[in-house]
Amino acid sequence: MSLAQNEKIKVYNPQNVAELDQIVKASKEKLTFVAGATDLMALENEWQKATNLVNLKKVEELSQKIEIHSDGILIGAAVPMSEIINHPWIIKRFPILVEGLKQVGSVQIQNRATLGGNIANGSPAGDSLPILTVLDADILIGPQKNGRFGKLKMYHLHRGPGKVRLGKKDYIAHIFLPFPREENQFWYFRKVGQRDALAISKVSLAVFGWITNGIIEEIRISPGAVTPMIGRAFMSEAILNGRVLDKNQIENAKFAFNKMVKPITDIRSNKEYRRKICCELLQEALYKQCTENCL
Amino acid sequence: MKIKMKVNNKQIELNISPKKRLLDILRDNLGLIGTKEGCGKGECGACTVLLDGKRVNSCLVPAFQLEGSKVITIEGLEKWKSFKSIERAYIENGAVQCGFCISGFVVSTAAFLNECSPPVTMDEIKHAMGGNLCRCTGYTKIMQAIQELANQKGIIQQIQEDWRNEFSTE
Repeated sequence: MSLAQNEKIKVYNPQNVAELDQIVKASKEKLTFVAGATDLMALENEWQKATNLVNLKKVEELSQKIEIHSDGILIGAAVPMSEIINHPWIIKRFPILVEGLKQVGSVQIQNRATLGGNIANGSPAGDSLPILTVLDADILIGPQKNGRFGKLKMYHLHRGPGKVRLGKKDYIAHIFLPFPREENQFWYFRKVGQRDALAISKVSLAVFGWITNGIIEEIRISPGAVTPMIGRAFMSEAILNGRVLDKNQIENAKFAFNKMVKPITDIRSNKEYRRKICCELLQEALYKQCTENCL
Repeated sequence: MKIKMKVNNKQIELNISPKKRLLDILRDNLGLIGTKEGCGKGECGACTVLLDGKRVNSCLVPAFQLEGSKVITIEGLEKWKSFKSIERAYIENGAVQCGFCISGFVVSTAAFLNECSPPVTMDEIKHAMGGNLCRCTGYTKIMQAIQELANQKGIIQQIQEDWRNEFSTE
């Protein structure tokens, strides 16, 4: 463990989770956990205010670990996105995540940016958030208590623009993705931005589910950048679950979806456009699953 | 704080603020002004360098994360055997206009050619180069230059060899 002091800036360089937890528990100041720094350094105010920096890059369990378990994959919160995009198991079992992360920033950004940073930044436009939501990921939170990390779902963690349910001393350690059943599975992710690279979403949509003989067994729907809090479109899901997917059901699901989203007007887009497009995205996602005789 | 790192194969030791950006270290402390600052927010790619074998925006890398790392800038790339081929393709295709974005583009080109598996499509090149902006909007010719390079087996092999020489751990 080394500590460097310069211009009242403190840097902590923990080498493993035990050291990290020790630093966190002993600290009285507001700590800034730094993984890829791609969001943090672009936010001038936040970056200037940060004076107690905890470097997560040297904590291998966080910055290098991608571990295959029998029931899912554990990804370190500080693993660069490009490692996730190129991981053979993730490509095979979680193509929706690979597709989403390929659309984050640029290759240069993906080589540094991390899932932990995307989550902790708390933007409703964060590209990975709707995907982690429909994959039912567990977000593991440190420091460890009795040797265990805390566990939260995405929709418990995200509380609004820039707001996440993390205490002063909490950090994101791992993301656990449970293996979804492969049989009859379908997924959809689309991000709408000003251009293909280096654009923050105007609106995005992640859909994940299972369909057999035209009947939706289970569907999970999570929109990005059109609700203050990342979450599931439970009403639309309830309309679709267990029923034959046809024109009527799609209209009903869209109707409920339209009521659920609360888009705003900002520098990137306006609420009318966002509302229209997110409903169109849901329609596109569902029509792709329709067999011809359903329509 | 004290930082030890390797830049273009030279061991460097600096006493700098932990929050100093890699971009400023390169330009101000080391005089390596081939790396440019465009936006300072990771959006334009003019400051692209290779860090531990990956291309990154040097405006978004803080000093305190650089301890023990290995950085290659456009000045380091110039010493690669394959550099001449990249340079020639850019010149012959008229890919350079004002030149400000070019060092970033060339670093990205080398990184892409090292990883690509020919034959490459224009879409692949566009995706790979999405992180570099050219305000002269000379994209077509830049993409042509890259496609021309990607179609030549010998050049790809040379880049991969240069890359291995640079980043293989001793």
